[in-house]
Amino acid sequence: MVFDLDFNTLFPERMHRLFEEVFKPEFFAQRRLAYPPLNLSEDASTVFVRCEIPGVEMKDIELTLTDKSLIVKGERATEKGKYFRQERPAGLFQRIVSLNVPVDRERVKATLVDGILTVVLPKAEECLPKKISIDIA
Amino acid sequence: MSTKNTPAGRPEEKALPRLVPATDILEREDGFYVYMDMPGVKKEDLSLDLQDSELTVTGKTSVVAGEKENFIEVQFGVGEYRRSVSLAEIVDRQKIRANLKNGVLELFMPRVEKATPRRIEIQAG
Repeated sequence: MVFDLDFNTLFPERMHRLFEEVFKPEFFAQRRLAYPPLNLSEDASTVFVRCEIPGVEMKDIELTLTDKSLIVKGERATEKGKYFRQERPAGLFQRIVSLNVPVDRERVKATLVDGILTVVLPKAEECLPKKISIDIA
Repeated sequence: MSTKNTPAGRPEEKALPRLVPATDILEREDGFYVYMDMPGVKKEDLSLDLQDSELTVTGKTSVVAGEKENFIEVQFGVGEYRRSVSLAEIVDRQKIRANLKNGVLELFMPRVEKATPRRIEIQAG
């Protein structure tokens, strides 16, 4: 005898709860889908990209700016020794951020403080809001 | 369903979210090493407390974002890191060293030096 009951359609509540548990839009998701964690924010004139990458030096991070995106790439090295517990991420990582506005490439700056990488991307002149004066004809 | 949160946390909450730092524990010739990822924690916001055989590490992250920023994607924020490590008997408590660099706390815990072997004189009598 074959049961073909799809519990998830019979009981949509359970499907909903399943999604809520696994893909909780929690403020601090313990199970991240991509490493390193990235915050993306903007104000009127600048785009800010922040990544949590402890344990790497600035020279081990590769930042690439294409005309449409910012790529953060690097590698976290493992320490040598006999491990009893390993929880810290290790190996190559890469995040690609799509930029929805053009940025001023010359004025892009990046800093690494206490393991947090901050990339400041000033928006390009042409996309900043400008006042247009109206002439009364 | 998204709630408007700033990385500084919800304004109503007094306590910072509790974060558990990713920790590596390894052993080398000279002793035990513990590495904890605590990005955004400065030396002055970090404390280590040793109680009996338990070493508790606590660190508060500092707010990084400006007030006027609109957030498009938030995957990390402020919080308080806290983790406890139990020390084995062979760890020399007096010689524990801690170093915070690039958001990584390195704890060095050397082993207690064994007493050097010595002969015991036998008295006759």
